Amino acid sequence: MRTLIIIPAYNEQGNILNTINDIRENAPQVDYVVINDCSTDDTKQILQDAGMTVVNLPVNLGIGGGVQTGYRYALENDYDIAIQFDGDGQHMAEYLKDLIAPIEAGEANIAIGSRFIKKEGFQSSAMRRFGIGFLSGLIRMLGGVRVYDVTSGFRAADRKMIAYYADNYAQDYPEPEAILAASLEGATIKEVAVQMRERQSGESSIHSFKSLYYMIKVSVALITYRITHRRKKL
Amino acid sequence: MSGILRIAFLVALALYFFILIYLLKKNRMTLKYSLLWMLVGLVMLFVAIFPEVFIWAARLIGVDVPSNALFAVLNFCMIVLLMFLTAVVSGQSNRLTRLTQSLALLEKRVRDLEALCGETANADESQSEENV
Repeated sequence: MRTLIIIPAYNEQGNILNTINDIRENAPQVDYVVINDCSTDDTKQILQDAGMTVVNLPVNLGIGGGVQTGYRYALENDYDIAIQFDGDGQHMAEYLKDLIAPIEAGEANIAIGSRFIKKEGFQSSAMRRFGIGFLSGLIRMLGGVRVYDVTSGFRAADRKMIAYYADNYAQDYPEPEAILAASLEGATIKEVAVQMRERQSGESSIHSFKSLYYMIKVSVALITYRITHRRKKL
Repeated sequence: MSGILRIAFLVALALYFFILIYLLKKNRMTLKYSLLWMLVGLVMLFVAIFPEVFIWAARLIGVDVPSNALFAVLNFCMIVLLMFLTAVVSGQSNRLTRLTQSLALLEKRVRDLEALCGETANADESQSEENV
């Protein structure tokens, strides 16, 4: 199956090449594309000099718009599987095989790499875990699907969901919302045990779990989404 | 409503419609959105010409001072209009996102094609040199 790795990157000059090398070493047969979300540092130059496959957004769109660009690229180039893989070095390419296994086997439309199944590797702070647990419960209530690591940006999608995400991808709080949207769309979602690292350098602009305020915003967004979207009948 | 107040109201409305038509004439506002403002203007015009109807309606819903009812109605209209404007802005930002993505994807294809053309051009050159 033709597989594409989507690497969203915003100001990742210190991490991006390591990330790509990690992928090339561990999954040499897989294509990748970096979505440079109008970085203000040297990310663009570094990628260009190294001859990497890159799509440069002329305007900063945020993580949602960036990832969606990747899904559109996957759709245009007729890929069977698309994988989201953060450019900041948090995700580990050695788990790519595990992640796409349920999709290759036709068992799931979406696979999400989860830190909380085997509870190994970087686990994030207790506060964040509590917040993630709360959102996980909320998504279960609203969408009827149990996903533990709802903010994980390490996920894979099959053809059906590539086409769906290329057309509608949550822009504001994409990780949790994309799970709810997919489950309402009738997708089968599976979690796969992976390990993650702590960010290697720089500031995280995405998945920032800063405060109670973020929790409230995401919760309201999820509830609003559920109220305004019907479950698709299969 | 006293005569002077009514005249002031009509003058203000005249200015309102003047600005609206000016913007339309200069193509600074699209017809689609002007319809909404036109409707608001017509409602205000109706109140200015037939205040009795408005006062009667205000009494009916239990407002003793008609001007308060006027403020309430105007406030409501403005909030609804603002909501419409937010919807317009959201729609535009959606389109902008789409366009930005398409532009970036096209730019990549152009880059790839240029690289490909460069290669074939070089190949052609070296071939023609061989022929010579």
